[in-house]
Amino acid sequence: MNRRLFLKNTGLGLMAYPLFTKAYTKVIADKVAASDRIRLAHIGTGNMGGQHINWFSRFPDVEIVALCDVDQLRVDKAQKSLASRNPSTKIDAYTDFRHIIDRKDIDAIACATPDHWHALVAMMAFESGKDVYGEKPLSYSADEGNLMLKSLKKHDRIFQLGNHIHAGENYHRVAEIIQSGILGKINTVRLWKTGGTSGLGFPQNEAPPKNLDWDMWLGPAPYTEYTPVRCHGSFRSFFDYSGGVFADFWCHIADILYMSLSPKGLYSIDARGEAPNDGIADTPKWIDVDFKFKDLDVFWTTTPPNVDGADKMYIGAHFEGENGSLTCDYETMKIKIGNEVMNDIPEVSKTLTRSPSHQRSFLDSVKSRVQPESNLEYSREMTLPMHLALISFRLKRKLLWNSKEEKFVDDPAANFLLSRNNRKPWALTNV
Amino acid sequence: MKKTIILFAFLTISLLSFSQKETVTLFNRKDLTNWKMVPHDKPGFEVQDGILVAKPQNGSNLFSEKWYGNYIFKFEYLLSEVGNSGALIRSDPENAWGTGVEVQLLAPWTPYRDDLHCTGSMYGLVAVHNRPDETTGIWHEMEIKCDRQNVTISVDGQITTVAKIDTVKGMENKNIEGAVGFQGNHGKKGEFVKFRNISIQDFDTDPEYVAKGFYENDARFRQQAHKSAVSIGAPMIDGLTKMLSQDNVMAKAGAKQVLFDIVAQATAPDVSKLEKKNVIKALKKNLKQSKSKSVSEYLDFLQNIAESKK
Repeated sequence: MNRRLFLKNTGLGLMAYPLFTKAYTKVIADKVAASDRIRLAHIGTGNMGGQHINWFSRFPDVEIVALCDVDQLRVDKAQKSLASRNPSTKIDAYTDFRHIIDRKDIDAIACATPDHWHALVAMMAFESGKDVYGEKPLSYSADEGNLMLKSLKKHDRIFQLGNHIHAGENYHRVAEIIQSGILGKINTVRLWKTGGTSGLGFPQNEAPPKNLDWDMWLGPAPYTEYTPVRCHGSFRSFFDYSGGVFADFWCHIADILYMSLSPKGLYSIDARGEAPNDGIADTPKWIDVDFKFKDLDVFWTTTPPNVDGADKMYIGAHFEGENGSLTCDYETMKIKIGNEVMNDIPEVSKTLTRSPSHQRSFLDSVKSRVQPESNLEYSREMTLPMHLALISFRLKRKLLWNSKEEKFVDDPAANFLLSRNNRKPWALTNV
Repeated sequence: MKKTIILFAFLTISLLSFSQKETVTLFNRKDLTNWKMVPHDKPGFEVQDGILVAKPQNGSNLFSEKWYGNYIFKFEYLLSEVGNSGALIRSDPENAWGTGVEVQLLAPWTPYRDDLHCTGSMYGLVAVHNRPDETTGIWHEMEIKCDRQNVTISVDGQITTVAKIDTVKGMENKNIEGAVGFQGNHGKKGEFVKFRNISIQDFDTDPEYVAKGFYENDARFRQQAHKSAVSIGAPMIDGLTKMLSQDNVMAKAGAKQVLFDIVAQATAPDVSKLEKKNVIKALKKNLKQSKSKSVSEYLDFLQNIAESKK
């Protein structure tokens, strides 16, 4: 019996007790046999990667055995900090993630690289028999999402997207209320996130620092000379690597739309907006998008919509139903039916199983082999409109979408932008 | 001999590129095609014997339908004895004086008007430094050149007024593009002003002029140049590709974005096949000539977008 099969068969039976996981975890603390521990590696140990390490290192059934970052300073720092907390574990540090992919003793990876690496890292992990906790957005391009899903299925792997707000009580309760039908049929949803990409000025290119493997950082993205703002912390300002604040936050707030309504039949995407004019950044300074789904209009705006209380919320979702409305963010909700405003509707019964925590749920899935809530199939569908909106933004035109074939209607240029030809040698092989 | 040929070739090239700054007649001597009166319910202008006349007191003003950013606006004017009118530049007709600037056209009044309010001044904003001939009843020629930050006004071939707008108090929030226009008869009842030979040379249709705007430090003028470059389309591609391989980070970033926008525009369903063909042709030509790997990769990417088929 190999390790993998052992984990699967014993499985710790966590799926049977999802609501009691916290208590269960306490009981087994310090008593997890080595064979029951999940051997985890972190790829990308910067801002978000550091969070991942903090989260995962607290689980008694997780053993973090390897770290990787293309920035030697970052990986050294992460290794040192982790080693001080877990002196008994040997932690290997790499700057090339392929060392982790090649290792047979690692069960899962947590990926917090920049967006343009997400698909490659995940697919190479799947192929090498590893499960993946991957940061949002799911992928750089729309097509990568499809390839990731194919690869996941082929290699029978577990994936959870890192949209951790998903696991909270608030989103589960919002979804229950919306799904209960108490607000009537929902016909409009407004999503917003204030703020956008700032220009970043016009810095000169310079030699990359010695601690940074710039070519590896670029990976599948077009080659360009180094300047610090293209890299750590602000890479999302560039279409070469991501899609700005919009791409950064879409998965957090569109999540509640998909969790509640799983809208189908998207057929029209119309984005308007502007790129900054005061710097090298090229992703939206502001972006407004009208999405038309079958029986549902979804609007994204960079300024809060004109609904009660929204002006004080930097991010939010507003559901408009036949009988009332619901406005929410990560932690709060406000329901309005007629003149009555409330924070909950106790009559709506609890129908959804709560998540033990986003990371715990991933670890449980690794053991049970049952996909977690924000699995790849779910997160691919949830992320897709974001990609389509950015294509509409870049081409500066309204686009029609065939949701069955997942192609734009009569717009070859838009369809071309659903994917990218990766820089050599980082082609995404068809899996 | 060889030198002469080179010189001749150079002259031809410069003449050719200069010729792209075409001068267009704005007034057809028959009617107000290309123009609109604002407000439209108080007509202030009419055409008489091939001449544009503003007679009704405080009638409407007249604006070009098209908007311009950088140009030479040229016309002849004749004022009645104590006439008062003006030319408007970079003006949104809905709020002409708030957004644009009036270049004054005025008879020598009693009491005497100072240099900040006389003919040739940018009314109330920039005084003339060289007061023009203000004789009424005869034709004068005025030329207003808007060259991004710089506005230069000449009367009868003499420069009267020079302004660098970012140094002028009160011009901070003025438009940098808009209609050109004329004020109706702003004098007493019975006074009038006449205009003829009205033309404009639009710099923003000239690829060379527009390319220079990519190096402007003022973001508004840079953005204006980007917009003009997109509307020029294919003929901008050579210049923009050059910018990509140069060291100016600002111009490079602008060129990268605008090349994408030109290609995006050329792939829109309602764009002519010819424009798309010209864009592809220009991309291919520059790809062939490119010596930089990253520039070639970008051009290749753009060409793939432009050539993508069902």
